[in-house]
Formats: sequence, C-alpha cells, structure tokens
Amino acid sequence: MISRLRGFWNNVFRRNQLDRDLDEELRAYAELVSAEKMRAGMSPEEAYRDTRREMGGDEQIRQSVRDIRAGALLDRLVQDIRYGMRTLWRSPGFCLVAVTTLALGIGANSAMFSLLDQIVLRLLPVKEPERLAMITERGNFYGDSYGPNTVSWPMFEDLRDNNRVFSGMFCRFPTAVTLGHGNHAAQVTAELVSGSYFEILGIDMALGRPILPQDDSVPDSQPVVVLSYSFWQTYFNSDRTIVGRAIAVNSHNMTVIGVAQPGFDGVEFGHPAKVFVPIMMKTEMTPRSDGLKDRRRRLQWVTAYGRLKPGVTMEQAQLSLQPLLHSILEMEVREPGFREFTAADRENFLRNRIQLLPGSENGLREYMRRPLWLLVALTGAVLLLACANLASLLLARATAREHEFAVRLAIGASRARIVRQLLVECLLLSGAGALLGLALAFIADRVLEKMYLSADTATQFSVSPIPDARMLLFALCAMFLTSFAFGLLPAIRGSRTEIAPAIAERSVSGAAGSLALRRTLVGTQLALSLLLLVGAGLLVRTLRNLENQGPGFPTDHLLTFEINPSLNGYTDEQTKDFFERLAVDLQTMPGVSSVGLSTMPILNGYAWQNAVEEKGFQGQPKQDQPVLNMIGPDYFAALGIPLLAGRAFTTRDVGPAAEYAVVNQAFVREYLPGGNPLGKRFRLVNSEDPSQMPDIEVIGLIPDMKYRDLRETPPAQAYFPYYQDTKFRFMNFYLRTQADPRLLMDPLRERMRQFDPNVPVVGLHTLEEQIGYSLRTERLVASLSAVFGGLATLLAAIGLYGVMAYSVTRRTREIGIRMALGATRANVVGIVMREAAVMVAAGLGAGVPLALALAELIRSQLFGLDPRDPLTVLGAALVLTAAGGFAGFLPAFRASSVNPTAALRQE
Amino acid sequence: MPIPPSDLLQGTLDVLILKSLALQELHGMGISRRISQMTHGAFDVKAGSLFPALHRMEQAGWLKSEWGESETNRRAKFYSLTKAGRKQLQTETERWERISLAMAATLGTN
Repeated sequence: MISRLRGFWNNVFRRNQLDRDLDEELRAYAELVSAEKMRAGMSPEEAYRDTRREMGGDEQIRQSVRDIRAGALLDRLVQDIRYGMRTLWRSPGFCLVAVTTLALGIGANSAMFSLLDQIVLRLLPVKEPERLAMITERGNFYGDSYGPNTVSWPMFEDLRDNNRVFSGMFCRFPTAVTLGHGNHAAQVTAELVSGSYFEILGIDMALGRPILPQDDSVPDSQPVVVLSYSFWQTYFNSDRTIVGRAIAVNSHNMTVIGVAQPGFDGVEFGHPAKVFVPIMMKTEMTPRSDGLKDRRRRLQWVTAYGRLKPGVTMEQAQLSLQPLLHSILEMEVREPGFREFTAADRENFLRNRIQLLPGSENGLREYMRRPLWLLVALTGAVLLLACANLASLLLARATAREHEFAVRLAIGASRARIVRQLLVECLLLSGAGALLGLALAFIADRVLEKMYLSADTATQFSVSPIPDARMLLFALCAMFLTSFAFGLLPAIRGSRTEIAPAIAERSVSGAAGSLALRRTLVGTQLALSLLLLVGAGLLVRTLRNLENQGPGFPTDHLLTFEINPSLNGYTDEQTKDFFERLAVDLQTMPGVSSVGLSTMPILNGYAWQNAVEEKGFQGQPKQDQPVLNMIGPDYFAALGIPLLAGRAFTTRDVGPAAEYAVVNQAFVREYLPGGNPLGKRFRLVNSEDPSQMPDIEVIGLIPDMKYRDLRETPPAQAYFPYYQDTKFRFMNFYLRTQADPRLLMDPLRERMRQFDPNVPVVGLHTLEEQIGYSLRTERLVASLSAVFGGLATLLAAIGLYGVMAYSVTRRTREIGIRMALGATRANVVGIVMREAAVMVAAGLGAGVPLALALAELIRSQLFGLDPRDPLTVLGAALVLTAAGGFAGFLPAFRASSVNPTAALRQE
Repeated sequence: MPIPPSDLLQGTLDVLILKSLALQELHGMGISRRISQMTHGAFDVKAGSLFPALHRMEQAGWLKSEWGESETNRRAKFYSLTKAGRKQLQTETERWERISLAMAATLGTN
C-alpha cells in the first residue's frame, strides 16, 4: 500500500524524473543488447540496427509504461484539460456566451443560497445546536402573552424542576435597556437570562466569567452584566479593563463580569443581544412591569429552552413532557382565576399541549422561510433554463465537430474518452462560470442587504456577503451539476458519431436528430419561463395591491419615534409629566401641525389584545380579542382619522370614575351590535382577578383601519386615554408635518436633545419608511421574481432564436428551391414562423396547466388576488408569445432575403 | 522453437519474470536472457512487453529496483523480488503446477 502511494506520488509530481529514468533504462538495454550482438560478430552498425528493429519504437514502449503508472488517469485528465482549453480558446465567442450565462445562473443561485443559509438554514453558533429544543405551550392559554412561543415563569420552573428528558433548561426574555456611557445615552437590546443560560448553550467567555446558576437565586441581588463580543468591540473599543467596572444600565450601576465568545449574539437571530443580564434583575431592566416577582401563571413572557439528554429524541421528549404539562394545568385550573369559567373552557384549557421546536427557530426564520425558498426555487429554474441553452449550443457544436470526433475515433480514441473530453470542456466552462458567479453573488448579496435588509433598530440582520465554506461548497456542487446537466447529452451524442460518413463528408443524419432534441429543449424552456412569468406577475401585483391599499389613513407627512423615559429611572409621575410636556413642546415646533401619542406602535406587526364583553353580558367570552391601544388626545387628528360620531378624548377625561373608549366600526359590529354605540358600556375581561373589570363607556366612533400590517382586514379596535393608566413606560409619538417629514428629522433630534439629553430617541423615521420597511419581504420577492422572470424569458427567447437560426441555415437550399419555384418572401416568413409558432404553442400548452397547478404553492404569499388569476396568466402568455415571435422573426426575415441562385449553388 | 509473444498466456510473463529473479537481481536485458535460458529458447521476451510488465509489477509491489553497474560497467537498473514478490511467485508456481497437471491429463501426454 505504501509503495503504491509512493508510486502515485512519484508519478504525479516527479513525472520528468521518471521519464528520464525510463529513457536511461531503455538506452542501457539497447547498449547491452548491441554489445551482445557485437560479441557474436556483428559490426557496430549492424548490431545497432538489429537492436532497434528488435525493440520496436522507443516511444511506444515509453507510452505503454506510462499508461501503467498509477497516475496515468490523472495524466490523461491533464491532457484532456489542456486539449479542452485549446479547443475552447479557438471559439472565444462561444466561451463568452457560455461563461456569462453560467456566471449569471450560478451567481444568482449562490447569492440566494447564501441568504437562505444565513437566515433560515443555519443553526445557532452554540454547542450541538441540534440537541437544543424550545419548549412551547399550544392551545388557548386564557391569559396575557408577550409573544408567540413564550411560557409563564412558574411554568418554566415547574418544567425545569420536574422533567426527565433535558440535561438542563434555561429561559430568556428579550428587552430594550438604556445604557449610559460617558455623557450620552443609547438604547440597546438586552437578553435577560436564567443562570444556566451560558452553561447549557456551551458558550465560552472571551473575558471574565459568564452568568452562573448562583446568580439566579434572589431577585434584585445580582447587578452584573455580560457583553456580547461585537458590542464590546464597537461600544467599548475592545477595552480589556472593562471587566470589573460598573456601567449604568437603566440608571442602575451594573458590574461588567465578562465578554461572551465572538459570534454569539444571543439565541434569536435577527434580534442580536448586546448585553446579557441575570433574569433576577427583571424589575430593574423592565421598570413597572414584573412577571417574575408576582409569579403570575396567566402571563406568558419567557422563552424556555432545554438541552436533550443523550439518546433522547425531540419526539420522545415531547411525548414525555405532555403528562407533566397536564398535571401543571390541572393545578392551574383550580386557581381562583378560573372560578367563573365554564366547564367547556376548562376542558379546552386542559387540552393544551407541549410542542418542542428546534432551538434555532425564531419568528424571523418562520417569516422568511417561504419567501426565501420560493426565491431559491426561482433561481434554480433560471439556472436550469441557462443549462438548456448551453446544452442546445453544445449540441450544435457537437454536430459541427463530428469530423474531429470521427478522426479521433478513427485513430483509436475510445468513445468513453470522447465523452470524457467533452465533459472536461463543460467543467472548464462551468468552473469559470462558478468563479465569476461567486464574485457576482458577493455583489448581489451586498446590494440585496443594502436595499432590503438595511439595518433597522428593531431587527438587525447580520447577513454577510462574504462567501463561506458552505457557499463555496454550494457553488462547487452547482458547477458539477450544471456541467452534467448541459454537457452529458451533447457529449453522448458527439461520441455516437459514425466514423465513415463523417469523415467522407458532412453527414446530416446526426444533425437532424440533434435539431429535434433542441426543439424539445426550447419547448421546455418556454414552459418553464411561462411558469416564472406567472409567478412574477402574481407577486408584483400582490405588492402593488398592498401599496395601493394603504392602512386606511393618509401616511404621508407623518413622522414617528419611540421613547422610554422609565428606563432612565423616572418615576411614573415623572414619566407622565415628561410625555405631557414633550407633547406640548413638539406642538409648538415649527413645521409640526399636530402631535399624537400612542403606547402601542401601529403597522409594526404586533398589538395589545384582550378579551372584552358587553356590560351585562352573560355567557362565555368571545375567542376573538379586539386590538387595544392607549392614546393621547390628538392622536386621531395627527393620523388624520375622522370621528364618525361622538368625540375624541380631552385632557379633562381624567380620574378613576371616567373610563372612556373610542372604538371603530368593526368593534361595534363584533361586540356592541344593534343601535347607537355611543353611551354603551363594555368590560375588559380580567381572568386573573374578575373583580377588577371596570365598566368602559363608548364616547366616539372611528372608521375601520388597519393596525398590525397592511395584509390584515381591519380588526376590531378600542382606544383608551393613556393618562387614565397608572403605569407609564414607553410612548410612540406621531407628528403630522406641514412639509416633507424628512426635513424635520434633524431639527427634531436636536430639539429632543435639548429637551432631555438622557432619554434616547429610538426608531425615528417617516411612516412611509416604516410601511416600506414592513413590505420589504414582499418587495424583495416581487422585484427578484420579476428580474428572474425577465431573465428566464430572455434565455428562452435566445434558445428559440438559436434553434431557428440553425434550422434556417440548414434549409437554405430548400428555401432557395421554393423561391425559385415562385414562393414569395411572405410565404417563406410564414414557413419559418410556423416552425417557431409550433414550439411556442407547445411551451404554452405545457406551461399554462403547470403554472395553474404550481401557483397554488404561493397562495399564502399573495394578497388581493387568486393564484389562478386569469389576467396574470394571460399577460404572461402574451409576453412569452411576443418574445417568441420576435426571436422567430429575425431568422424568418433572414430566410426570406435568401438569394435563390446563391442558395442553389451552395454545396 | 520460440513461441510468438502474442501466444503468451495471460500471466505467463509475470511468473517467468518472478522466477528469473528468484535467485539474483538482474537488469532488463538480464531478465530477458535468463527467461530465454530457463525456457530453452521457447520464450524470447522483447523490450515492448518486458518493460511495461516490469513497471506494472513494480507498481504492484512485487519488484523493487535500483541503479547499479552492469557486467560491461554500464549504468543499468537492476530489479529484485520484494517479500510480496516471493509470496506471489509461490502462489503462481502452485497455480501453474495445477494448470500444467490438468492440461497434461487432458491432452493425454503420458
């Protein structure tokens, strides 16, 4: 074995040395034989000639020895590559077209793969990420929730202490904190984590120590903080002395105990944590809201994770946790909060179940998964189309090279060798295409990131355009697959060349066969591009629909931002005062016409919901919960929402006795049907404490408008004055401006700095920008699918043109005869166009049913139209027919200009 | 009477070369002459089949080679058996004995 390896090594890397040795050996042999013959009495000349004759050709011996060597295969490969490069070099035009096509195809695919990989496929950068599970409770929870996939703190403790499937569990809660550093304040994302967080994830520390289980015992007792590596680099300039120092987090002095390993930004992709704080500091980190100390079971707020014990699968763990959950639910349903519930509701509650999700899962992934897979599928189709064009080109080339192949076969090349030779040429082309494609992908990813995923305060994508090992591997696979996709068929056809006729004269038999094959390829291409055009049409019209619809109020001339003075340690009274003074201050700012305040942001994807019931209502509360909001007096005026009846709030509506609400028409339809809604009363359901359900009087009615996003049908909404509340935290400001709202951004920042330099302004942007951002995925998908659809049509048209041009060239003689016999130019155009029309018709015939069937797959991506929208399908078919007609007309026109005399003299 | 090379049975050349090297190391021409001598001139191995065979057998690990001086003081490559080569010779010898016995019995040369 070792000698074999050494032989291989020698053969590959010491070829010249071996060849010299062999020459020497053969010379020695010849001399020894000659010497023997001379001893037998021959003259030196005679002996030399005789020896030569006996030995045969030196070169033949040398070649047969070389063939025996272990590296001979590689030798021949190098030969093939050299020959392939020489051949390709002789047709630079063909190379240019092939490499460009491949670079576009592979580049687009690599770029999309890179996005898909980084956003959807990649697992968390932690130890054994596939063994990490997120524990969620499914079913009606009958309580308040901070978001999907959360559980209550007591539920987390119960699961942690009683399960038998996890080697450990931790939980976390994402929030924003205000960091004081020097003399400026910044709001950053923080992750509140339980003590076992770093240990179970298996995260090392770049500096200092992690948060430990001992930090997890007593609330408020551990004012410590761990920094993320990137945040430590940018915010603290990689200052190694930071460990042990105190920084102000929400105006509390917290000691920095460590810096996490590079690349770790918490467990939620797209929401990178800058600082990690023990969850025991919840009160300090989220002032005036506490689910930790009051241990409410009807408040879901932490995301719980567990690491599976060795040998336990996700399915086993999920099954094993179900009885545990059930026993906890049995206990919860006996709590006072459930006393007024019907038996049916209790039954329903006890049916809740555990669902385990992969630990790397998150909302962003779920949201981006379908659109990104869709785009990957589209780019894959484009690459397939490009391959079809290349296959067609190569088939034509193979026909033209029949003579060359015949000669090679005649002098002893095997057919396998010719197939290999042609495949090597394809690999050279796709290799060059892949290299160029990677460069294109780099540029494309940068552009995509800038255009669609630009950094936002809420979600920060950390998508890198730099190709990594996975992307390189992908490009390599794409290169081999495409080579075989477009190269194998032409290669096999090429090797089937019949020697005798091909050498004697150019035969047409093979050519006719390859033309039929090429026609089929073009038909397939046309069908595929119709598919892409229909998809693109549907997605572009979806975007148009969303943009045209609007939320139901004028969005231009609106500026919005968020502040949270409570993070600066301001008391409720101070915060309330802050909001009131700021509203008055901004009202007097030049260029501002009105200022609206709202505790919940609108068109931002989420909402505060709670069950309500009409006063005096007997029976079970409705499942659907209306969207609620607390607002300032001028909110409706600032947003340009008219009051249909009644009045808006005034600052006089204060006091515990005055519980007022403004509701929309959907709310009236749903909860207060019949008669004039003004003066009617309803109650907010409080399952925790049914005695605390104040009566609320409806004083105003507004029209329906969208709340969470542009896709929804306007939900039932109820608005309360914010100053009726007793707890004050964050507030969203909406400023209606007289001129372009962007011009007011800088003056506004300056005014805010003067007003209070310690309270950072977060997410300052125009409402149009916010809406644009909320549609970023739709825009990404629509514009890319339009580009790919156009590219596909172009490729199919080029394919059609190529085949038609070739067919016309072959039929020159026939056309000449027809024209000599009296066919007009129009007749000739008709003949050729008919040939093109057959292919287009075949493509449409196959494409339309396919498109109608496959469009169903993107139903969930669409808005305001049916996947089988006839207008879109018709439009796509028309575009394709026009492109096909144009591609067919050029060769047809050329055919009609044939000079009959010249054509007949040809050949 | 020499047997034409094309009539050489598959594997015959290998066993002849192995046998020729059983006692001493030889260079290319030496092997050719030794085979001729061992088979009383029945096999005359030419360079065209000898050298590919030698290189193939070296690659297979049965032979090893080194440069040395020939009897006429010419630099020449000498081949010798490796351990694997000796084992191969043994196996081949046994195989050939069985074949020749079977052939003799079949053809009735008693």
